[in-house]
Amino acid sequence: MSESIHLTVNGVAYPVTVDQGRNLLSVIRTEIGLTGTKEGCDDCECGACMVLLDGQPVNSCSYLAVQAQGRAITTVEGLADGDALNVLQRNLLETGGVQCGFCTPGMLLSATALLDRTPNPSDEEVRIGLSGNLCRCTGYAKIVAAVQLTAAELRNG
Amino acid sequence: MTATPTATKPAPRFVRADGPDKVTGSGRYTADLTLTGALAAKFKYADVTHARITKLDVSAARAMPGVFAVLTQADVPSVKFGPFVQDRTLFADGTVRFEGEIIAAVAAVDAATADRAVAAIVVEYSPLPVVNDIEGALAADSPLVHAEWADYGSILVRDRNDASFASIAKGDVEQGLASSHLVVTSRYVADGCHAAPIEPRAVVAQWEGNKVTIWTSTQVPFDARAGVCETLELPNNRVRIIVPHLGGGFGGKCGFHYEAHVAALARVAKRPVRLVFSRREEFVAPDRRREGIVYEFHTGVDADGRIVARKAWLAIDNGAYTADAGFFSQLAAMHALGPYRIPNALAEAHLVYTNHQPSGSVRAPTAPQTCWALESHTDEVARAIGLDPVAFRTLNAVDTGAEGPSGQTYGEIGVQQCIEAAAAGAGYGNPLPDDEAIGVAIGWWPSFSVPSGAYVKIDGDGSGQIITGAQECGTGAVMTLRQLAADELGMDPEDFELVYQDTSVAPYDMGATGSQTLFNNGRAVVAAAGQIAEQLRNLAADRLEASPADIVLADGTASVAGSPDRGVPIAELAGIAAGGELLIGHGSGMPPGPPPTVGSTCVGDLGMSAWVAPQFSCHAVRVKLDRDTGVARVMHVSAAHDSGTIINPIGAQGQVEGAVLMGIGQALTEGTTYDDQGRQRNAALLEYKLQTAADAPPIAVHFVEINTPDAGPRGAKGLAEAPNVATAAAISNALAQLVGAPVRQLPMTAERVWTALTEQAAQS
Repeated sequence: MSESIHLTVNGVAYPVTVDQGRNLLSVIRTEIGLTGTKEGCDDCECGACMVLLDGQPVNSCSYLAVQAQGRAITTVEGLADGDALNVLQRNLLETGGVQCGFCTPGMLLSATALLDRTPNPSDEEVRIGLSGNLCRCTGYAKIVAAVQLTAAELRNG
Repeated sequence: MTATPTATKPAPRFVRADGPDKVTGSGRYTADLTLTGALAAKFKYADVTHARITKLDVSAARAMPGVFAVLTQADVPSVKFGPFVQDRTLFADGTVRFEGEIIAAVAAVDAATADRAVAAIVVEYSPLPVVNDIEGALAADSPLVHAEWADYGSILVRDRNDASFASIAKGDVEQGLASSHLVVTSRYVADGCHAAPIEPRAVVAQWEGNKVTIWTSTQVPFDARAGVCETLELPNNRVRIIVPHLGGGFGGKCGFHYEAHVAALARVAKRPVRLVFSRREEFVAPDRRREGIVYEFHTGVDADGRIVARKAWLAIDNGAYTADAGFFSQLAAMHALGPYRIPNALAEAHLVYTNHQPSGSVRAPTAPQTCWALESHTDEVARAIGLDPVAFRTLNAVDTGAEGPSGQTYGEIGVQQCIEAAAAGAGYGNPLPDDEAIGVAIGWWPSFSVPSGAYVKIDGDGSGQIITGAQECGTGAVMTLRQLAADELGMDPEDFELVYQDTSVAPYDMGATGSQTLFNNGRAVVAAAGQIAEQLRNLAADRLEASPADIVLADGTASVAGSPDRGVPIAELAGIAAGGELLIGHGSGMPPGPPPTVGSTCVGDLGMSAWVAPQFSCHAVRVKLDRDTGVARVMHVSAAHDSGTIINPIGAQGQVEGAVLMGIGQALTEGTTYDDQGRQRNAALLEYKLQTAADAPPIAVHFVEINTPDAGPRGAKGLAEAPNVATAAAISNALAQLVGAPVRQLPMTAERVWTALTEQAAQS
C-alpha cells in the first residue's frame, strides 16, 4: 500500500509517494535522487547505507522510509559547506583515508555522529564508533587518523 | 616510515583527483546510473551443484506482463570461452557444475517483476555425482566435472579433473633429501575465501544501432570487452566499455563477467538493461574466489640449517570452470618453493576441477595461502634444526646476486633488508607476556611487465588531460599518473585531469590487475608526456632563440638552462601550439622482457618461473592468544617491503595497511565452508567476517627502496598485491609458538586454534 509522505533530507522537504514496505535507502537513492548513500549488503552488515536520523547513525537499508517522516535525515550530500568540503571530508582526503570510496559516505556519517557525541575521543572510541562501517581498502588507520585530526581541529576552533 | 593511528598530519602531497567526488557523494558508481526506460535484470541460478538439465521451460516467464526478455544458452551464439581452457558458456549448456551457474537471464520492467519471472522458469535436473573434495578429484576413479574435458581448446597440461599441471624442477630433489641432515614433512590445508569488495557488481547496457555501450564495475575493461566480443561475436570497435567509479575489486572484479548477459538482454528487449548484484550473488556467482589449496612439503637441511632440498605438492581448487586460474599451478609452485636458495627443488601443482564456485585472481592469487603454508613449514624446519626463525631466514633467503629456486639469479633485491627492518619494527627478541608471541614470514611477488598505452594532450589554455586505458580500483595508481606527467613537463599534477576507464577513448591497458598500473601505464604516460615535452622545447627554443636541448621545463615555465630569466610560461606555448601543431602525445614503451633462468625445467610453463623486478616482503606480527577460548588477537604488525621506489607515499602506505588487514582476516576469520553438495554455507557478511576498525591493530610500514634493474618508472615495482602475501603466515608462526604446534588449516579460527590447543594438552 502506497503512502504520500514528506521526507526532510539535508534540510530540504521532499514529497514522495512510497510503498509502506520500502526501505529508506531505496527512496533516498531513487525518488529523492541522491545516490551518495550506497547499498553494500541490504542486511545491516556493511554500513555503506548509513545516514543520520536526527543526528543518530542508522543503516537506511533496514529502516522503513515511512518511519523517517518528521525526522531530519542527513546524507553525505549534506555534509559539505556549499562548494567547500567540511573539515572531516578534507581530512579524510588529505590523510589518505579514501581509496575506492564506496564505504566513504557511510564512514563520514558515522564519524560525524561520533564527533558530535564525543568531541575528544580516544583511538579506541573512534575504532568502536566506526566498527559498523566495513572498509576493505584502507585498513582503517588513515580513517582513524582523519577523525582524530578533525576532533583536534574542531576542539581548537 | 611508520603509520600509527595518531593525529599526525602527513604532507598533503597526493590528494586524489577523484577524492572530492568520493567524499561529497557526487561520484557515480555503476549502480548509481539510470537510463530512461531501463529494465531490471535478474538471473536464474542452478542452486544444485552438479546435474544434467532434463527440462528447461521459460515460456511462462516470457509470457508475464512486464517481461521484455528471457534468455538461455539457446538464445546466444554457441561459443565456449575461457582464457586458458575454453570450458564455459554464457548460460548452462545442458549440464550445471556449480550452484552459481546461470540457467537463464530475465529483463523486466522492475526488479520485482524480474524476480517473479525468474521464479516462473521451470528447470528439472537429473543429478550427477558431486566432486566436493580437492584431493579426491585427482583419484583415478573420481567422477569427472567435465566429461568432455578432452575436447576443450587449451594451452595447458591437463588430464581429466586436473585442469592445469605445472612443475618446477632443479637439481636432484630425491638425492638432496636423502643426503640431508634432517628432513621435515608437513601438511597444510587452506580453505577458499573471497575478495569481498564493498560495492556489489553492477552492469548497465544500452544499444544504439549495431553498437553497444556497457557501463560496468569491472577492474579490467579491455578484458571485459574481449569477453563480450568473443561470446556475442562482435568486433571490438562496436563494443564500448565504460567504468564509472569502481567500489573496490581486490581481483574479484577481474575477468569477463556479466557484461555479455546484460548486453544480450538489452539487444532482445530493445531497452537499456541494468543488473545490480545482491551481496549473496557477490559471494556465490562470480568466477573469482580465492582458491583452497592442499599442501605437502618436505624440506631437507644440512647440520648448519642450510636448505639442501625442498619438495612440494599442491592440489589447488579450480572450481567448476577454469577462469584465469590456468596460471595458478605454476605461480603456486613458485610460492611453494619460496624466496629461498634451494639447490635441489621440485614443486608439482595440480589445478583441480570440483563442483565449487570457480577460482580466479584475488589479490596476489595463490600467494597468501601458499606463503602461510610454506612459512609455517619453514618455522617447523627452523625449530627442528634449532635455529631462530629470523636467523633461519637470514641464512636461507635469496639475496642480491643469489640464485632463486627456479634458477633465476637476482639483481639488486631487498629481501634481507626487509627481514631486518620488519624484525626491528616489531621489537623481535624483546621479552613478551606468555600469552603473546611474534611470528615472522617472508614473501615475494612479481611485477607484471605487459603492454599498455596512454595519450597526453595540453589544450590552448595550458590545462592538460591524461587519456589512459588504465583502470582505478581505489589503489590510487591511476591518480599517481598525474605526478609522472607533471614531472615530465615541469607542470603541477593539478594541471592535469584524468580521462580513463573507457575502451573507446583510450588505448589498451590490462586493467587494475597484477599491481601493474604504475609499472606499465606509468611507462606509457612518461613516454606520451615526453613527446609533448619535445614539442614544448622546440616551441620555446624558437621563442627564446636557444637550442631545444638547452630548454628546461620546470615550475610551469620553459627556460634556457643556466639563464632562468630567459623563459616563457608553458601555458603561453600551449596557446601558440593551439594555432599550429597541437600538443598531443601518445605513449606505450616496450615492456621489459623476462629474465633468464638457468638449470631448471618447468612442465606447464606459462612464464611464471622468472620474475621481472620481483618484490619482496617480511611481516613480523605480534599476536595475543586467549588459551581458554582459542581467540587470537593481532596486537601489532611490522611490514617491510621492497617494492622499489615509492612514488606516492600516502597511497603506498595505504596499500600496505589495507592488504595487511585483509591478510589478518584471511588468517583468522575469512574462509568459505561448503555443505556436502559443494554449496557455500556462509555466503553473507555476518557468517563471513571481515575485519572492522575495532579489530585492526597498529601497522608499522617500512619501505626498503633500492635500485631495481628493469623496474618501472623511476625504479617503481608493483605494490598492491605484495603486502597481502606474508601476513597470515606471520600470524600462523606466532600462534604456533603460543599453541605449541602449528594450526594446520586456514583460516585459523578460534575453533581450530582451540582444537590444536586441546590436542597439544592431550599429548603433553
